[in-house]
This record gives sequence, structure tokens and C-alpha cells, in this order.
Amino acid sequence: MAPSSSSASSGDSSTPDTTQNHLQHSFVLHKASEKLNSSGKARRRIDLSLTKPDGKKESDESCLRKEAFQLVWSRIESTIKDVLRNMNAHVFNHIRSWVWDSFNAIKPFPTSCLGPFPFVSQATCTQLFTGLLLTNNMEFVDDILTFQELGLSLKSHGCHVANLSSSDFSSKNGISGCLTSLFRHFLMPTFDAADMSIFASWYSQQGNYGYPVVVIIDNMEQCCGAVLSDFILMLSEWVVKIPVILIMGVATTLDAPRNILPSNALQKLCPCKFTLGSPAERMDAVVEAALVRQCSGFAVGHKVAVFLRNYFLNQDGTLTSFVRALKIACVQHFSTEPLSFLLGWLLVKEDSKGVQSEEVVKLASELLSFARNQMAEQSDVKIAPGLTELTRLQKLWSTVVLCLYEAGKCNKTQLLDLYCEALDPDTSNSLASDSRTAIGKGFVQSLSSDHCMLEQNLSYRKGRLICQLVCRVRDLPASLLCQLLNSWENLTVDVLEIHDKVKELQSILKFEEGSCKPDLIEISRRRTSRSPLKIGESQSVNEKAAILMDCMVRDFMKPIECTPFHEIVCFRNVENLQSALIGDSRKMIQVDLLEFHKTLQCSCCRRSGNIPLPSMPDTSIMYTLAQEHGDLINLHDWFQSFKTIVIQYNRKGTCKLKKSPLKKRKERNESENKSEAFIQARFCRAITELQITGLVRMPSKKRRDCVQRVAFGL
Amino acid sequence: MVKEESPQITRRTTRSSALAKCPNNVVEETNASSQPPPTLDDLVLGEEGESFSFDDLVSSFPGRQSQIKELVNLLGPQNSPMLPIFMYGGTSTGKTSILLQTFRHLKRPFVYSSCLTCYNPRILFESILNQLILHRKNAENGYSSAKRCERPSDFVNFVREALVSIIGKLQGQKSGKLSSKRSGKANGNMIYLIFDNLERVRGWDKGSTVLPLLLNLYDTLKMPELGLIFVSNTSPDTYDSNMGYVESNPIYFPDYTDDDLGQILMRNQANKKLYTSFLSVVLRPFSRITRRVDELSTAFSLLFRKYCEPVTDLRVVPNEEMKRRLFSHFQPHIAPALNEVFKVSQPCTEVEARERKQKGRTRKSGGYDVVDQLDFHMSTSAKYLLISAFLASRNPATLDASLFDSTGGSNNRKRKRKVSEKSMEQKETAEQELLMKGPGTFPIERLLAIFQCITSVAEDPLDDEEQAQDGLGIQDGHGGLMSDVLLQLTSLCGANFVVKGGSCPLEGSTRYRSTVSEDMALQVARSIKFPLSKYLYRR
Repeated sequence: MAPSSSSASSGDSSTPDTTQNHLQHSFVLHKASEKLNSSGKARRRIDLSLTKPDGKKESDESCLRKEAFQLVWSRIESTIKDVLRNMNAHVFNHIRSWVWDSFNAIKPFPTSCLGPFPFVSQATCTQLFTGLLLTNNMEFVDDILTFQELGLSLKSHGCHVANLSSSDFSSKNGISGCLTSLFRHFLMPTFDAADMSIFASWYSQQGNYGYPVVVIIDNMEQCCGAVLSDFILMLSEWVVKIPVILIMGVATTLDAPRNILPSNALQKLCPCKFTLGSPAERMDAVVEAALVRQCSGFAVGHKVAVFLRNYFLNQDGTLTSFVRALKIACVQHFSTEPLSFLLGWLLVKEDSKGVQSEEVVKLASELLSFARNQMAEQSDVKIAPGLTELTRLQKLWSTVVLCLYEAGKCNKTQLLDLYCEALDPDTSNSLASDSRTAIGKGFVQSLSSDHCMLEQNLSYRKGRLICQLVCRVRDLPASLLCQLLNSWENLTVDVLEIHDKVKELQSILKFEEGSCKPDLIEISRRRTSRSPLKIGESQSVNEKAAILMDCMVRDFMKPIECTPFHEIVCFRNVENLQSALIGDSRKMIQVDLLEFHKTLQCSCCRRSGNIPLPSMPDTSIMYTLAQEHGDLINLHDWFQSFKTIVIQYNRKGTCKLKKSPLKKRKERNESENKSEAFIQARFCRAITELQITGLVRMPSKKRRDCVQRVAFGL
Repeated sequence: MVKEESPQITRRTTRSSALAKCPNNVVEETNASSQPPPTLDDLVLGEEGESFSFDDLVSSFPGRQSQIKELVNLLGPQNSPMLPIFMYGGTSTGKTSILLQTFRHLKRPFVYSSCLTCYNPRILFESILNQLILHRKNAENGYSSAKRCERPSDFVNFVREALVSIIGKLQGQKSGKLSSKRSGKANGNMIYLIFDNLERVRGWDKGSTVLPLLLNLYDTLKMPELGLIFVSNTSPDTYDSNMGYVESNPIYFPDYTDDDLGQILMRNQANKKLYTSFLSVVLRPFSRITRRVDELSTAFSLLFRKYCEPVTDLRVVPNEEMKRRLFSHFQPHIAPALNEVFKVSQPCTEVEARERKQKGRTRKSGGYDVVDQLDFHMSTSAKYLLISAFLASRNPATLDASLFDSTGGSNNRKRKRKVSEKSMEQKETAEQELLMKGPGTFPIERLLAIFQCITSVAEDPLDDEEQAQDGLGIQDGHGGLMSDVLLQLTSLCGANFVVKGGSCPLEGSTRYRSTVSEDMALQVARSIKFPLSKYLYRR
């Protein structure tokens, strides 16, 4: 094992880089990178410093904020990683036991008796055991790490593992390319030709023999079918000598291998299916751990949450981009919000009462007073108690949300939706207005009236997820209700008010179960029919649970945006996030071309409106002119109108109407034919620029005199 | 490829021989670094002193007696020169297994190389040379070959050298027979080169250099001690044989008959009676579809398990009544399995498919439930894009205006109807043509236009519904759907739902084609409540 492990690990360390590079390509092209974001951050910081009179304090503060960001983000990141790892652990265990089972089924021949030549012995079993790992997501980005971790987990259990990516199976490099990258995981990189007999002789070596060889291909859909099938045929010819077990990631459906591989290669596979958690499940787990349970104290506002949800559902659908969006939000929060460093303080305080906390509080109150001086509206507020109150409310809120989620689990409510709704300040306002009337009534007394109230509320807020959940709790069968109460009990340990009530309910339920067990089913059936009379008389546990839930929502679930000091921990600027994340580069190009003066801020072109002026940049003139055409632009016409505009300038230039320093040198070219050539050159350059930005397309063979406009509208 | 169908009896013997050898191997295992250098004996298959008679050979390959006889005759008695042999026949008809077992019977040294494993000329050449020179790649020599050989001319020189030396050794061994005990293993002083999967070579640089070299090797080397055997799954006519090669002796391996198949499949069964009754039900329908032993045996292994489900004791001897009962239980599984023969046998697929169907039937109107129905996650905009790609591939481009133009729809439709009345026949032939052509290609502009149309159409009803359903809605969702369409398109291409024709993207002449089945497209459309059938051009 010793020589192999070192070589394998070295091989492994190289693979993540390559995959990373492989992906980086698409990140840079399509998505807002974090680099872009950090530049935004820098700019904003400069803005801030302009308002700050005290330079030293400012640098102090920004430093603190930076530290706080590091602290908070590392917390969030590690939480997310743990969550995902735990989600996969189960599947990984399955796969591991399957690998060893199938290895035992192969029972490779002792290799040295097979001689140096690659003949296949007489076994009918040349089938390759193949695990098809369904990732359940069309986008593949989320699962790169998963496959690496799978490799590591198998490696730690004694298998020889090679992680291959789909780029290894390209038609360009062919079968030798993928064999080379396979061998690179096991052998020293010095072999000259990737030949299976090398692999066999490696496997027969001491330390290598007797363990399964697992080949993981992370995304089989993107592999070249011909190469992959050659690879499979070759491995199956050797499987008697080298017990290779394949694991292939399938992003879409189980039909994918059928679509890619020819039947003779399919014949060699002996597949077994494994399924990773679906993106929605993973998303819920991440949201629960990172945002609802508040591992870091950082929170997002309602609008941001809705944006993140919609972005996940409609646009991208990957956890990776969700996490990235979260990070961007975090960065923006810490760069724009002056008091955000208190979040770091909160975290530190939570961990241990540090010595520096005093200092930080002092600085914080100083800053606060400074802010107050500037705004001159608030009377003095104690910041430390305010913050502790904030965290208390937050805890209550998250407890209630988790309780609701627990209630919604049986009918597959998505935490993400629930989270968005629970954050909505409007919901809370409407609830609060209701609760004002219901205040002091508690939740067990005067049931009938309360019940009517509940009905009213429900009809009033019909369609809301939370209300649906409350309704469902009423119809819950006893066993499920018992389960629900148990989980509530665990969740509300810290919140005494709710905890006591839950216990009370539990005892009632137990009592009922003891006394009239046979009736229970009937009662619940009656309840589902829900004639108001009967419910009024039987103060059932379900009803009480529903009312408890309603009370929890009303009294304890205060969205963060309704609490004082929420600005410190809560990011709400959805526009910034959107522009950072989506970017919409094509639109920006068009906007910049049409409204270039906003960027250039020259005096000459400001008044133009829609009329192209000669002092404008050539590309802008061209694009403004192109607006007048349909999807085909006649090159000659275009050139003529371009020329008129430019020449108009030249004439004007001789009249010395306008002189931009940029164009001065053009004035010197007075001679006509020279300028004609010059204009043509400018025309060509501008049109090439438009082509490169993807706004026009070069003439086709059919219509040589026309270019085609590609992008329309903004 | 060819050897799967080897007989079970021989397998058992080899297994046992392998087991018998095990203690040796364990020793070798522990000091693997000092493996004994390969000797001449390694070129011979089978154990020393093992007797594997001709009758054993024939009995282990049912229905192949004539081919075996012919092969042995062509190989001739010891030390007799022979013309090249060309064995051919369909996949899984026993070519390689019979050849190897025959050599095991004859105990003659041979060098085997499969052109599938040796996937390029260099590896093929070096693999042959390594075996001839008795060189073994291992960690000490850095997994390198004995000789570096890339060019065919080098190969000829090297192989001549190696052959001369090895034949010398064989002759020396024979004369010095008494000196060593092990020397008796190899019979005669002929050496045979076996090229398996020869059809693969045609793919290497269009078969222009290596294939003629191999087919002509006999003439080039002119060594009477050399025997050449080619194994291919296509007939010799498919190789340019009018190039002046020495005519090789062909041996044809026809497909097995039903009886042969029955005998082959029966061999390793524990309960022969039960399996016979199973085969009587299954073999006839299946043998119409495929006669490949490997395909049949994998298909049957699953089916037999199903067949045996009602049987408690697997050693039972079935009577007529029981057979009938088993058959009635088993019958519904046959027809679906027939279609499954060409597909990958997955234990979970059927359950999966059934689940999917049920899900499809009882589809819910909730926001997420419908997504689950698809089995995998796709973002909404990717779904719309997939549908628009499907429409663009499916509908003729001329219909786009009438389908998607909401304002001018009516008069367009009128015009269309007139046209269709005029030239019904013409249209019909055009339709047939469309059907034959499969999904059409489309430029990206058309895709984007359709995408924009269907998202704008879908926006209004969807928003109402969503807002009524849960207060969140997708307010800013659809407005932004366009923003990274190109990214979505790339990921659709990555998932093989849309195929991209290769050309320069700057020129813009790239055309796409959607490869999604209609079922899948309908499923996707259902999950976003898009009325796809309204937009489909029905023929």
C-alpha cells in the first residue's frame, strides 16, 4: 500500500485543481465573480471613509468589520460543509458496503498465474459492477465535492480510488487519454504508454493486491460515448485480473447510460443505483443550519430571502450559487453596515466572555453616538442590552420556525418557503394586529371564542403557508401528533413558555390515549369532517395544538426586520445583491453604449438625447444608428449615415465649434480621400467591436451586404 | 467480447486449477517484487502435467464440434507449418474461448494480443514483443517495455529477431529435454501469434498501415515456425483481401441454434429440471431477438430468479401442475423483459418507472411536488428553455409566427388554412419527411425567440396562480428569466438534452437540436404547468 498511497495522494491533489480550472471557465464567463464584488466593497469603503472624520477610528472599525466577516463567514461555511457531509454519509456507507460485496463477488484470480499476456480467462462473468449515483440535479457543480469526498471515504476504507472527470473522456484524447489519467492516480507518472498490462502488473504488486479498485467518473453525461464504451469494454476484459468497480455520476435519469453507450458496452455493466439527496432537501438542510438555526448570527431580510429562493428555483438551481449569493450578501453587509462588526462581538461573546468585549462595546457605543450625532434624531439607547434582546428574539423566532417546519414535514413543506414567509414583516404585522384583540386570553381558556377567532384569521390570511400548517395540525392523526409534540418538546427546551405548554399538551394526549383509545380514530375522522358543533364540544388535543401553534407564531415569531437593531445583523439590500449576482452583462453593454456619457462625463455629448453626435465614440454612434434598423442592417446605408455624422463633425471642427482634445489630431487630416479611408477604418473597427460584444453578426453568404442585429431591446 | 460463453465445465476445472495453484501464488504474493522472470512455459496455457483431451475440449463446447475439428486440423500436427487462420463469427459465439482451449489442449506456445486492449499500434507491437522476449513490465523496470517500437518497419525487424531467438530456445529445449523437468510443457517448436478483435484495427488510421502489415506478416517474415491466427467478428471480405496477401483459411462460427443455447445455458444450473422448464418458457421468444449467449445469460439470470419466486425449495423437481402454476405466475414478466434485452438490466429501474408513472397520474398542484415528478432538479428557466428547444426541433420554422404571434394570430391562421387546403398532398409528403428526419435543427436566435414568447405567455396565468397559492409568488422571477439563458443552454447541452452542432460560435452558424423525447418534454411542461400540447404541430 505504501508506494501506491503516496502516488495516489499526489495524483489526487492534482485533480481538484484541474476540475477547479475546468469550472472556473464558466464562472468567469457567466456569473459575477467574487472579485468583482470585492472591488465594489472597496469602493464603498472609500465612500464611508469620506463621511468619517476620525481616520484612526475608521481604520480600526473597518479592521474590526473585516475580522467579524472572517469569523462569521468561516462559521457559516463550516456549518454548511458539515451539513452536506452528514447528508451524504448515509449514501456513502451504502456505496462502501456495496463495493466490498461486489469485490467479493468478483474474486479476482491470483494475478501472477495469469502470465504476462492479457488473455481473458474462461469466466462468463466479465461484467463490471457499476454504481450509478444519481445526483438529481441537472447542474453538476454541487457534486464535484461530493465525488471527491466519496473517493476519500472509499480510500480510507482500503480501496484504490481514481477520480476521473468527464473531461478525461473527451473524443480528442481518446482512450489513451483516459487510461493515462486513470493510471496517473496509481502509478508514478513516468510510464511511457498507458497499457492495461502495466495496470495489471501494478495491481499484482505487494500491497496492492487484494483490494478493490474503484474508478469514479463524476459526470457520465458529459463523457464522449465512444471513449467511455471503449473504456468499459477494456476494463471488462481485464476485470478478472484487476477487480475494477465503476461508480458513475448520473445527473439526469437512468436513461442516460442507455442514450450514451452502445449495447455491447451496456452489456458489460452490472448496475446498481444509488441516490444522493435532492437539491431541495439539501437546500432545506443548509437553510436550516445556516440561516434558521443561526450558526453565525448573520441574517437576511425578507426581500433578500425571497430573491435567493427565486434565484434558486428559477435561475440556477445549484447550492453552489446559493452559497455564493449568501457570501456576497455577507460581504456586502459587512462592507456597508458600519455597526456590523458588533456581530463579531456577539459571536465572541457567545463563545466566551472575552476580555476585549468591553473594549468593543465601548467602541460600539462611541460609534453609535457618533451616528446619532449625525442623524440627530434618536435619544440615547443602550446598545448592549439591545443586542442581547435582539439575539433573544432571534432565538425565539428560529425556535418557532423550526416547530412549524416540524409540523410541515409530514406533507413535505419546504423550509425555504417557510423561511421566506416567516421573515415577511407584513405577515407579522397582520398577525400582530390580530393578536392585539386576542391579548391576555392565553391559549386554553375561552376556547370557543378563540376558535372562532382562529377561523376568522385563517379565512383572512387564506393561502398562507403558515396558516395551512396550522390547519393541518388540526387534522393530524394522533400518532403523528404525538410525534410532533415530542419533537416540539426537544426543540423548545430553551424557551420555557412554549416548553411548558407542550408538556401540558403531551400529558393531555397521554391521558386521552389511556382513557379512550378506541375512540381516537373516530374522533379524528369526525374532526376531518369538521362540523363546528362537534369541535366546540370536544376540546381536542389537535385543536389545542393548533392554537398553541398560532400563539407561537403570533407572540414569538417576530421577523428580524421588526426588531430594533436588526440593521446590525441583517442584510436587506436586494438590489445590490442582484446586480452582483446576475450582472446581466449583455444589457449592461447596450446601456453603456447608449448612455456612455454617464460614464465618460464629458461636456460635449451631454445634450445629445438620441441624436448621434460626432464627438461620441464611434461604437456608440454606430449602435445608436443601428437602433433605427430592423434585424438586418444594410452595410452601405449604415456606413453612409456614419460618414455623414462624422463629416458633419469635421466641418464643424473646421469652424471650431467644438474641440474635444481627443479628436484634435483628426482635424489635421484635411485631405478628402485620406479622411475617407480613415472613416472606413473607424467604421470597420467599430463594427468589429460590436461583433465582439455580440450585438451584430457578420454578413452571411446569402446576403453579403447586410449584417444582422443579434440583440434587441434591453 | 467473444469469450464469455465459455463452457462451465472448463471454467470449473480452471477455477480448481487456479485454486490448486493458490499456495504458490500466495508465496509469490508476499515477495511480489521478486517475481520469477517469465519463462517459455508462460507462453503455454494450462497446468503442467494436466491432461485436457480432445473429448474434453469438444464436450465443453456444445454445437461446436465441427469448428473445433477444423481448427485442430488446420493447426496440424506438431511442427508442421501452416497458413494463417482467420476465425470469424458474431459476438459471443465462442471464437476466443475455443481457440484458447484448443491451445490448452495442444500445449503449444502462443502469444495472444487483443486489439481492443492494445488500442494503438505501438501498444500492440510492444505487447507482442514483450511476450516474445519474455519481458515483464513491473515497478523495477519502471513499467517500460523491452523495446520501444512505434513504426511498422521496426516491428518487423524486432519481431523477426525475437522469433528467431525464441524458436531457437524451443528447439534447444527439445534437444535438451532430459536436462530440465519442466521443459516438457511446451509441445513442438512452432510459435503462434493470435490477434483478437482484429476488426478494431480497421479504425486505426483508417486501416492503411497496420492492417496490411498484420495480414501480410506471414509473407513478410517467411518463417515456417510461425503460425498466425486472426480472430474477428466480421468476415474476411470486409478486409481488403485483394491486396495480394496469402489467402488465409477461414473458419466460420455461426450463431448457436436453440438446442445449443439450451445446452450451454443448462450447464451451471443446480436444479436442471427446474431450469429446463424455465427454458422451455423463455428460450423460444428470446432466441428470436438475440442469440448471443452473454446477453441471454444476463437476461435469464434475472428472470430465473423471478421464475423461482413462488418455489420455496429450489431443489424441487417440478411436475406438470407446478409448471403450469409457475408459468401463470411468470407469464406477465416475459413481454417486458423481451424489450429489456438490449437495455441495461437494472434491478431498480422497474420499480422506479412504476413509481414515476404513479406520480405522473396523481400529480399534485403544489409548487414543489411537481418538480419531484421529474426525478431530478432543473431550474424553471431551464425547463422553459428545454421546452422551447423541443418546440423548435419539433415544429417547422414556418409555423412559428402563427403559433406564437399573439396579435397577428388570426389572419395568419387563415392564410395557413388556405394553403393547407390547396396542397394537402404536398403537405402530407412533407410531414412524412419530417417524421423520417427526426428532430430538426435550429439556430440559437429561433430558440431564444420561442423562449421569450413562451415565458411571456406563461407569465400572466402563472403569476396569478402563484400569488393566490402562496404569497411569495415569483414576482421578479420571470422578469429575470432571460438573464442567463446562455448558461442554461450550456447546461442543457451538458446534460445531453440539446445537441450542439460544431462550428465557430462567432460566425453564429451553430445549430442546435433537441434530443428530448416527447414524454419527457410533456413531463417538464406539466411541472411548470405549460400547455405544451397546444403548441405542438400535430401531423
